[in-house]
Amino acid sequence: MSSEPQVRDPEQIVAAMAAGDSGPALSAFYAQFAGMVLALLMKMLGSRAEAEEILQEVFVELWRRAPQYDPARGSVVAWVVTVARCRALDALRARSRRHKDRQTEYAEGDALVTEGGRPDVLVSSTRWHQALRQAFQRLNAEQRAVLELSYFQGMSHGQIADTLGLPVGTVKSRILAGMRSMRTMLPVIHRAMKAS
Amino acid sequence: MSERKERAELLAALHAAGAASEEDEKELAALIEGDPGLERVVKDFEDSIAALASSFDPLETSARTLGKIKKQIAREKGGVLARVRSWFSKS
Repeated sequence: MSSEPQVRDPEQIVAAMAAGDSGPALSAFYAQFAGMVLALLMKMLGSRAEAEEILQEVFVELWRRAPQYDPARGSVVAWVVTVARCRALDALRARSRRHKDRQTEYAEGDALVTEGGRPDVLVSSTRWHQALRQAFQRLNAEQRAVLELSYFQGMSHGQIADTLGLPVGTVKSRILAGMRSMRTMLPVIHRAMKAS
Repeated sequence: MSERKERAELLAALHAAGAASEEDEKELAALIEGDPGLERVVKDFEDSIAALASSFDPLETSARTLGKIKKQIAREKGGVLARVRSWFSKS
């Protein structure tokens, strides 16, 4: 299906969904966010079939929760990402319960975002996305590793410390440093995009 | 930066990165009550990590999945789902 950039304001779409529009508004919402959500779910779950299943759950939940969305508390993207991440973490926990003996293989320093193509069908890769990924690549490997484990694997700082064999204080410092860098880089990217 | 502010920023970062413990969350909530400006720091961190999470190349999705979603919503509309939505809109 087409994922051409949409011009409709996401907040208006969510408001229409909140008012009960499960037709055009839901279709527009899906067109804007489904590709991004599927990519995030693939990143976290590593299985296309599972990601597609969770994608369905995510959009039903987003539609269900639309009346609760409050723009003052965050952007639509942040809301969508939060719901998708929660469902993906639920799926990971369920999987872990099913395969208790399965160990997560992880090497400190693994990059979160790899350069080059991926085997899945790419719809589009905007300059904004590329700039964000490049910004993330500018974090040092230690910072990327702890953010990967916390955000995309759902580990607490204690679990990360155990996994990486580091003191908890070091893990916390790396998370803070990584988050600070990301926070600093985001407005810079925004400005660069606007200027070009 | 004061020690208190630094602690607050650390807790905000842990929260946004999904690495905060229950105790951290409680401490952060208490700090926000005492300093509403801290919410802005939390939101900035959340926006940053959400931007990263949304930066993967979008994948092709199928119209069939959208059809399934619409079917499920239609099935639930007027039933349990309507009650859940009504509850969310009140909360």
